[in-house]
Formats: sequence, C-alpha cells, structure tokens
Amino acid sequence: MTIVYEARTGRHGVPLIDGVDKVTGRALYTADLDRAGALVGVILRSPVAHAEIIRVDTSKARALDGVAAVLTGADCRVAYGVLPIAMNEYPLARDRVRYRGEPVAAVAAIDETTAQRALELIEIEYRELPAYFESTDARAPDAVLLHDNKPGNVEREVHHDFGDLDAGFAAADLVREHRVCCAEINHAQIEPHACLAEFDPSSGRLTVQDVSQVVYYLHLMLARCLEMDEAQIRVIKPFVGGGFGARVEVLNFEIVTAMLARAAGGKVFMQLTREETFLTHRSRPQTDVVLKLGMRKDGRFTACACEVTQRGGAYAGYGVVTILYAGALLQGIYDIPAIKYDGYRVYANLPPCGAMRGHGGVNTRFAFETLVDKMARELGLDPFAVRRANLLRAPTQTMNGLMVQSYGLAECLDAVERASGWKERFGRMPAGKALGMACSHYVSGSAKPIHFTGEPHAVIHLKLDHDGGVTALTGAADIGQGSSTMVAIAVAETLGVGLDRIRVVSSDTAITPKDNGAYSSRITFMVGNAAIAAAQNLKMLLVEAAAKKLESAPEEIVCDGGVFRVGQGGQAALSFKEVVSAALIDEGAISVKGSFTCPVEFQGGKHRGGAVGSTMGFSYAAQVVETSVDDATGQVSVDKVWVALDCGRAINPLAVAGQIEGSVWMGMGQALCEETRYLDGLAAHASFLDYRMPTIVESPAIEAFIVESKDPNGPFGAKEASEGALAGFPPALVSAIGHAIGVDLLELPATPDRLLEAIGKRRQKAAAAARKQRAAS
Amino acid sequence: MSVELADVVVAQPATIEEAVALAADAGARYVAGGTDLIVNMRRGVTTAARLVDISGIAALKTIVVEANGAVIGGGVEIARLVGHDGIARLFPVIAQAAVTIAAPAHRNVATVGGNLCLDTRCIYYNQSEWWRRSNGWCLKNRGDTCHVAPRGERCHAAFSGDLAPALLALDAEVEIAGSAGRRRMPLRDLYVEDGKAHLTLAPGELLVCVRVTRKMDAFAYEKIRQRGAIDYPLAGVAVGLTMRERRIADLRIGLTGLASYPFLAAGLENLVGREVDDDLLKEIDRAVQRQAQPMRTTLAAAHYRRLAAAAVARRLVARLAA
Repeated sequence: MTIVYEARTGRHGVPLIDGVDKVTGRALYTADLDRAGALVGVILRSPVAHAEIIRVDTSKARALDGVAAVLTGADCRVAYGVLPIAMNEYPLARDRVRYRGEPVAAVAAIDETTAQRALELIEIEYRELPAYFESTDARAPDAVLLHDNKPGNVEREVHHDFGDLDAGFAAADLVREHRVCCAEINHAQIEPHACLAEFDPSSGRLTVQDVSQVVYYLHLMLARCLEMDEAQIRVIKPFVGGGFGARVEVLNFEIVTAMLARAAGGKVFMQLTREETFLTHRSRPQTDVVLKLGMRKDGRFTACACEVTQRGGAYAGYGVVTILYAGALLQGIYDIPAIKYDGYRVYANLPPCGAMRGHGGVNTRFAFETLVDKMARELGLDPFAVRRANLLRAPTQTMNGLMVQSYGLAECLDAVERASGWKERFGRMPAGKALGMACSHYVSGSAKPIHFTGEPHAVIHLKLDHDGGVTALTGAADIGQGSSTMVAIAVAETLGVGLDRIRVVSSDTAITPKDNGAYSSRITFMVGNAAIAAAQNLKMLLVEAAAKKLESAPEEIVCDGGVFRVGQGGQAALSFKEVVSAALIDEGAISVKGSFTCPVEFQGGKHRGGAVGSTMGFSYAAQVVETSVDDATGQVSVDKVWVALDCGRAINPLAVAGQIEGSVWMGMGQALCEETRYLDGLAAHASFLDYRMPTIVESPAIEAFIVESKDPNGPFGAKEASEGALAGFPPALVSAIGHAIGVDLLELPATPDRLLEAIGKRRQKAAAAARKQRAAS
Repeated sequence: MSVELADVVVAQPATIEEAVALAADAGARYVAGGTDLIVNMRRGVTTAARLVDISGIAALKTIVVEANGAVIGGGVEIARLVGHDGIARLFPVIAQAAVTIAAPAHRNVATVGGNLCLDTRCIYYNQSEWWRRSNGWCLKNRGDTCHVAPRGERCHAAFSGDLAPALLALDAEVEIAGSAGRRRMPLRDLYVEDGKAHLTLAPGELLVCVRVTRKMDAFAYEKIRQRGAIDYPLAGVAVGLTMRERRIADLRIGLTGLASYPFLAAGLENLVGREVDDDLLKEIDRAVQRQAQPMRTTLAAAHYRRLAAAAVARRLVARLAA
C-alpha cells in the first residue's frame, strides 16, 4: 500500500494516541469492563414481521429461580427516536410488532442459561397482519399502514425544485435517464453491541457504559424513556470497536439494559450476538434512484431530475434526514443550473434503517456518476473532461443554500488522473480490464444540530495544574476515527507544546462537556475549532503570567516550542513549567474552555428540510479504480485504486490517509459484495459468513493523495476526511466494469450472479438484433 | 439467541480403536478441528452428548507418499495438504483444492476427514435457533418442510466440501473404521443425494484415510465463490484429463456445491477419442448444465451456480488440453 501524503504535506503525522493500547489489548471495550456481580440481560424478539400483540404472559418467567427482572412493552411508556419530529419507537414493542427480530420482552437473570430459559417461558400471542418487504408493496393503495399517521406508508416525501428545469433540459444536446437499485447494506462494525448499566437504588442514580457514538443523545433518551432526571444519569463511552453510523442514534438494547438494571436494582450486562447486532441495523437503506441528466456537447450539465425511494424499515430513525440528504447532496459538488428532487422514505416490515458512512449521498452519487460516464461515452468525451467542465468556483452558495468556501476537486482530479496513467491507459487496456473514475463529496458536520438548544456546536474544557500537564475534556466520541488524537494535536499546536504534555479525557457525561457526538463528520471541524479556541484562551493566561514574571507586556511575549521570551530571540526565557507555576500563583489549578458555533448563514436554505446538507465545508474526492472482469463467471477483481481527498488541511496526515483508505474500502464492500438479504422478512445475512465484507484477498492497493484547499473556517484550514471518498468507489468500479466488458450494471453490489445475468441479457439482445438484421436483409 | 454451548463430555482417545469404542453410544460425535461442528452446535442444529476428539490420534495424521500414489490420514489438517511436497509433486490438484478452503486459521485445524464428511448447508438451516423457529424449522432439522422445495420429499441442503470433487476425479478410495472393523470403498460410495443424510457411514463409523493413485495426466480445481477467502463454494469443479495424440483418452469432472452430494459428471466416456475443440467444449458446458441442478440453498442465485460451474468446467478442460 502506498500512501502519498508526506511529499505533498511535508508532514507525516502521528500514530493515534490510543493506538498502542488497542494493539496491545490494554484498551477496554464495553465487553471487557468489570462486570463482577452483573446480571445477564437478554432480549426476546418477534418471530413475525407484522402483528398485533394480543396477549403477553410473563408469569412463568418471573417465577423462575434466578430471574431478577422481566420487562415487556407495558413497561415502556415513552416512545423514543433520534429526531424530535419522529419518535415512534418503543424500547420493547407495545401493542404491535413491525419486523422480525423486534424486541418484545427482556429478562435479567443470574446467568445466561437462566436468562434464556426465562425467555422460553414468556408467552406472547400475535394476530398477524399483512407484511411488506418491498417499497412498492408497502406503498400499494390497499396496504395496511405500519404507522397510522403515515398514509401510504410514506414516512416523508420531499419535493425540491431549484432553477429552471425545463429550460435546462431544452438546452441539452443529450438527455438520458436511468434507474438504478442499490441493495441495503450494514455497517458490520467488528464489535458487537454491548451495554453495562448499573442502577443504585439508594441514590436513585444510573450509570451506563456503552458502545454509543452519541453519548449525549443516549443520556437524553435514557432520561426520557426511564422518566428520570438527567442529573441522575451518567453515561460513559469506553473504547468502541467501530461505529460507521451503527451507533449514531440511541438503540433499543441500550435503553432496555438500563431499564433492566433499574428493575433489578443493580448491574446488568447485555451483549448482543452478531445476528442481533445485524437485526438492530440502522444502516443504508435499499434505494431506487431514477436519474435524468441533460448535457451539452462540451460536457456541461444543463439539468438534473432525480427521484429516490428508500425502503426505510419499520421505524423512523434518521429516515427524514436520509431522504433529505439524498437530494441535498446532489448539490455542492458540481455546477448544475437546475435540479429537481423527489424523495420518498417508505416504511416496510424490516429492521429500521439509519445513518451509515456517507449518509444519504452514496446511492444518488452512484446513479449520478455512472450516468455521467455513460453520457460521456455517448458524446465521445473523456470522463475527466466532463467533471472539469462542471466545477464550482469557491466561495459560492448553491441553489439549495449550501456554502462552499473551499474546493479542491480540480486538484483531486489532476492527482488521480496523473497517478493512474489515465491519459495513456484509458480505453487502451487488454480485454476484460479497464479503468473507471468518479467524484464524491461530504459534509464536515451538520451545521444545524438535531436537538436545537441554542448552545454552541462544540465545547472543550482544558485543565492545567501544578504538573504542567494539560487535560483536554471533550464529549466527542472517539470510535476509532482518531478524534481524541485530533483534539490533542489541536491543543498542542496552539499552545506550542509537545503532544506528551496533553491528555485527552473523552465521553463521560459526569466529567466532559456535552458534545453532540460522532456523526456527519462533525468532530474535526467543530470540536477542532473549539479545541483551538480553548487552547488560545489558555495560552492567553500563560502569556499574561509570563509577561508579569518577565516584567513585560503580554503583547511583547513570544511563545515558541514551549518557551516564552520577550520579543523574538529575547534573552530572558521561561520554560513552560516555569510559566505554569507563575500562572498558578494566587489562582491554583486553571480551567478554561473554548467553544464553536456554526454561524446561522451556514445553516442551510430556507426551504423545508433546508438544514439537511448544510455544513461549514465540504470535503471533495476523486478516484480511479482499475478492474479485471471474468465474463465467463461474472467475477470482478479490483486491481488498484488511486484516490485523492481534499480535506482542507490534514491535521494528522497519517490518520487522514487511514480514513481515506477506510472509506474507499467500505465503498468497495458496498460495490462488490455487501448486501443484506431477507427471506420473508427474516434476516438471512446476519453473520459474517453470509454478510460478505471483502477479505484481504479482495483488497487492492490504495494509493491515497491528500489535497489541502485550506478552508477559511476550518481548524488550521481542515475539513472532514472520513466519508468523502466513499461514494466515489461504487460508480468508479461500475463504470470500469462497463468499460471492461461493455455491460452497464444498474444494480449494487456487482456480485457475480448479477453480472452474469447482465452479460446474458446483453448477449440475448445482441443475438436478437442480429436475427432482426438477418431477417431484414 | 444463545451463543453458549450446552454442557458436553469430551473424550480424547489415543487410538482409532478407542475412538470407535467411545463413539458407539448414541449421541456421540467425532470432532477434530471443529470448524463446522462447533458452529453448528452453537446454532443448535447439531447436538452431541459426547464429543470424541480425534485430533490426538497419531495414526489419523500421517501422509504417506508412494511411487504413484498417496495415503492421506483423515485427521490430517488441511494446511498440511497445502504445503506438502509429495502431494504437490504427485497430486497438485489436492493442494489446489485445499488452499481454497475457508481461511488460513480454519485450515490449520480443519481436517481431511472433516471436509469429506462436512455437513450439508442451506440458508434455511445454517441459522440461529431463533431464526429457524421463527421460520417453522425445516426438513433437515426438527421440521417437516424443505423451504427450498416445499412440495418435495427430501432435503436439498448442498454439500460444500472442496476436497471431494478433486478426490472423486482421482478415483480415490476411503478406509472406514467401525465397531465391525475396517472396510474400504470408493469415495463416491461415501455419498448419497439426500441433504439430510448424505453420508453412507453407519453411526460411530470413522473415516481413517483416503487412498489415491495417479491414473490420469492432468488435473485442476477451480472454486466459484463471492470472496477469495472464507466462503464456501457456490460451485466447485475438478477436472482430470488424459490426452493421447491430441485426443481425449480419459476425462472426469467432479462437482461440488451444486447438489446434496459431490458427484462425477456422467456420460463423459462418450467424449473419449474426441479433439478438444469448440464443439466439444460446448458439449461439456451443456453436460454440466444438465447435470448440475443446484437448488436455492445459497443467497446467490441457483441459476448462477449452474452457469458458472459449466463455464469453469469448459475453461478447465480447455486449459488442461492446451
């Protein structure tokens, strides 16, 4: 694997500050925590896809020796959900179940065997209702409603119209439309879901340690569903083994574990199986996209019409946001004069979908980029030339009110075009081999928070004491993406001290300031800016103390490499420790804070749903994928990837390169082999044998390039780096397959069976055309 | 949704005779690597009151290579086949098939006997207890309906071992130990086409070894799967070919993953004397498509498995003949 960043940035970066703990096994994940004396919590799940709950009898389970608590929907009075406008889920189903695997009851017992036996003793009688596993069936006129307040089983319809669409299509030299279908996928994070909850009956306090990416939302939802005062609750995030959006909303098992702990008056540990982790789901929905594009002979886009249908599963979750993102992210990457978007988020009797890396934008990007490729072919244009004909010019504001302050897509295109040898190789490769390319982008944090409180988007506390160590307290959830390391670097660089002076304590609601969590790639931008602000505040105190000690004025003090002097090259110098001692006189331990708020002009358009997609800055990516296709068996191999990402500035190039590779790899999983499959609503994919993530055998060399466009508002100019490169992979691969064997696949993933079917159809079509020609002559 | 194993007694015999005696009780199962059995026990599709662990029996773990043949112990780990010099020299196709099995960590403990006696697999069977109960069980386990072919009489779970097709093409013989002593039979007689009971072994019988003799000139194995590691075969094709004066003298095609048992394609003797040209390759393609009739036991389409098996058979014959 070649990582080309050092030459471009002149910096290598640092390993993650918790990296050694992880690779040596010292890091404690939720399932590693001390659970001495903890009861085992287990969940009973619905065997049916859609039914009314007629009768529940838990008396036999309660009577079993060793059972400490049994809960059902009757114990869950309050609905929850990540969006305040769409809370329609109960931790345990009440009255009705809506998917196979939905939690209906829970038990806490002295051990696993007893808990499982108790589950067997719970009697539930269902009256089955018609169940719908496809969007079209759920939307049929006579379909039974999953939620009575949502006619047509549509959770949210979106209709956005920007620019003059008719004029745009009229101005085009070529108008083409295609329909693509992207299978539902799952995050498949390696750590299964787990939660350790302890309720202290004497104080009435609850402590929950959990795999969450959104500690604050979990805190809120626990208070809501358990009807407790927030002040009585503490949530701690230990090390987390991957999120990717799986834990970006509060999940049923988290609330259930806490409820069991309270009911049992003690400590309850729950670890879901891999199957249950899959059933908890909340991932990228099956998506149908109908995309129509107008293009001029020179490759300029004239208009775009896009209809998206997402099969969202049984509950709302993030659904409204996902369907809005799918339309909003048509913008902010290219200059398109007119865009019409129609989105439908549909309920179905399947596990609820949610947010996944590249939230909302990935499947529309697939539809868009593959259609651009086909139209370029038809017009005899180079795919790179078409992208270059449609670049934005920063700073600019899109039609839907998104601000673009920095834009490095042109440089990204140059980098991968050069590195892949595109000009020399494209269209000149041996049979069955080809290159394909695509672009993508993503937000650096949602500029409008989900729960609007008027508080800043991010707050960081810094503590400095006699030891000269700086402790950064942040609520930002490090879930492996390296956010704690980013905080440490931001503080150290601002203070001008080494990283060894900084400690980061993260995600403990009793200690760290509230943070909205690890989602929409918000942490580097928002928390990074807050960290810099906090460090500047601390530095000001230190400079004042140094000035006093050196009998000078603060504005005369120069701080460099942890040494404070009067003027550049001044003789009198104070070490960092000396300045700290001076600053602590009369004051004692110092606490400062810094915060960051996205200005209102960045918070999106005024139209309904306009906040979704709004951000302080977009990352941009271009990538080239080289593939080989075996047209006898339909097997596809990815031979090489060249990818460039504009992340504004790489605060830690080593971590950025890792995130670029990770997002490319995850995009490859969706493109190549990952998909969920249901048999009458039963998840048949719910293991790592049948949910096929790529193995190391399928993983190509990835050559990653970092482009630094220096965003004017980003921390040190930085933007996000973890999601932007994902969405480009599926279209780049599918376009490459098209160039390799002349088959335009309209589905994801590009599995051998789908490909062989497409090849077969093409052969039949060619044979029919030949017959027709023979008949005519 | 338990993942805990029920209590089980594990016996660790040192000899084949001890093992056979220990396995005589109802409810006893042999275990070696356990890469298939333990997963199935955790899922509740296989139960055992006693596990007879044969991984410590030295007599099962030898590979003896002779001038023109080999005897491979049932307890030989798959990884040893991959790296064995004698096997690589005489029967590279065995190593070729072995290296496609699962992943390196599995191959270190999984055995030849385990792979030949692998339980059949199906998307309706290899699921959790909760899943199968929610689906009304199935013919192979506790139920009376095969969800793959609900109107049929039998279970259609597919055999998925990778060694069998190569060994069938090699005309291998297996030696079996049981309470009545030892017996030998052709490998093909180990199997019958019934997903619920695909092995002809009597209760308590143990596969001791496999004997192969080199009778043909060239062999090859290719496995169709979605990923290059871990996955079971969607189809596996082994071809053995001997050419004399550019004409077919002997041709065998062993198939796996396509039915409840591994089998040799029938009727290939009619191709003896033919040149390997486009027409012949088309006939092979058609013959495999006709004989390979996979059912919907995997998430990948059955039709695909049939087409891919035929394409691979055709390709391997062409390659070996060239």
